[in-house]
Amino acid sequence: MPRHPLRAATAICGLGLTEVGRVYDRPASDFAAEAVLLALEDAGLERRELDGLLVSAGMSGGPDLSLALQLGLPELRVCTQLNAYGSTAAQMVQYAALAVASGMARHVACVFADAPLRRGESTGAAYAGGRRAPRGFGGLGAAYGYGGPIPWYALAAQRHMDLYGTTQDQLGAIAVATRAWAAGNPRATFREPITLADYRASPWVVEPFHVLDCCLVSNGGACVIVTGAERARDLRRPPVYVHGMGQAHRFDLGRADLEVATRTPALESGLAAFAMAECTPADVTVCQLYDCYTYTVLVTLEDYGFCAKGEGGPFVAEGRLGPGGALPTNTGGGELSSFYLWGMTPLSEAVIQGRGDGGARQVPDNRRILVSGNGGVLSHHATLLLSPEAA
Amino acid sequence: MSAEQAAAPLLEADERSAPFFAAAARGRLLLQRCEGCGAWHFPLRRRCSSCGGTRLAFAEASGRGVVHSHARAHRAPHPALRARLPLELVAVDLEEGVRVMARLAADAPAVRAGAPVRVVFEPVGEGLALPVFQPV
Repeated sequence: MPRHPLRAATAICGLGLTEVGRVYDRPASDFAAEAVLLALEDAGLERRELDGLLVSAGMSGGPDLSLALQLGLPELRVCTQLNAYGSTAAQMVQYAALAVASGMARHVACVFADAPLRRGESTGAAYAGGRRAPRGFGGLGAAYGYGGPIPWYALAAQRHMDLYGTTQDQLGAIAVATRAWAAGNPRATFREPITLADYRASPWVVEPFHVLDCCLVSNGGACVIVTGAERARDLRRPPVYVHGMGQAHRFDLGRADLEVATRTPALESGLAAFAMAECTPADVTVCQLYDCYTYTVLVTLEDYGFCAKGEGGPFVAEGRLGPGGALPTNTGGGELSSFYLWGMTPLSEAVIQGRGDGGARQVPDNRRILVSGNGGVLSHHATLLLSPEAA
Repeated sequence: MSAEQAAAPLLEADERSAPFFAAAARGRLLLQRCEGCGAWHFPLRRRCSSCGGTRLAFAEASGRGVVHSHARAHRAPHPALRARLPLELVAVDLEEGVRVMARLAADAPAVRAGAPVRVVFEPVGEGLALPVFQPV
């Protein structure tokens, strides 16, 4: 089979990460503007060289297309706002790669920012508690006790436990491994190591999820810049090449015959990305997986084919994902322990690892980096395979 | 939590949902059904997602199904539910081929995926009731 014409034809050449976490009194649009400027500086690009801008907003409403005005970018060749929730960041890299490969644009900034946390409000309030339930059928969920995304993911995880015997401690193993990685990331919100005993003692939110099964909520912004492979080699930082990409979307339409809780679109998205990059899960040296909940990591690993369906529990146990494990995963501490900027959390860590900038947490082998984005309730999926090597 | 939210009723029917909640108060489970292709729907739709048709009408459903999954909520999205925590959330695959999000009946025994259940009704305020599920 001939090599895919877009394999390693483009690369990530710039990364901008603002301060993240409980950073107050700044709108999301300002985090976005700073992230783009940081990414330009990182790449060694002039602002006028930026001719593409893809914008993704989180829960708090900003940023939008007015970002181009704030950044003083009067002329662009590609400019739009996208949203497929947590899969958007990986998707933006894909659309940027297509735009660059087609010649539509030369340097495309992909930016996400959000500022849902407000001073004096709880983390939970940022995603669930601030809205009044609507009247009629729309209020039915809240009347039962459903609020925010956690119950939906909890139902999915519990079904996996009921069908396959996945245990609470196996979910906990993901939380423990991810926190162990966070210890090596100065940017991480929580860096104190945790044990399975700490995990078991953490309060319930919606069983089977403890607090430590759930991601953080963070304010901040992140940007990556995509350019052509040749161009990337002339810029300031080592290129991180885009070898494979894929997307898939499957929805819970309320049909009882559709299995969406334990079988996600990571399957089709992964197959497409692996085919383009001409590799298999066995070739992956490090994973950066969307970890809105511990369970998301487990089911994503299964659907990508790292283990058989139903065997994710034993697969993640015994420290396989943590520092020193056979499959280093979420090496920056992920969304569970480091910070939550939707798909920019795994993507930014992939760029850091791809460049060898991981410091204390740098993995020994960064040649095949798998990045996932997940949005909705396991509904939208996007996959990237990245590498510091062009071959 | 705003004062307005704290004072809001747990559930309010509107014009579209009123037949559903009124039937529930009389012990009947209504679901939308497409008069063109016969597909059942939950929640409410304006257009049938199976055939694209727009003739959707409430029809009485069996109320029988099996547990798709379950989750025990220790936090309540509405202050009126706080005294009842934890809440046994349940997703049920009905015989009609529809998956409904609901809750187990108060004091129902624990369930697992695949457990057979049937609908019962729990009064919520004046003339309104919620369909909830009971293991059989």
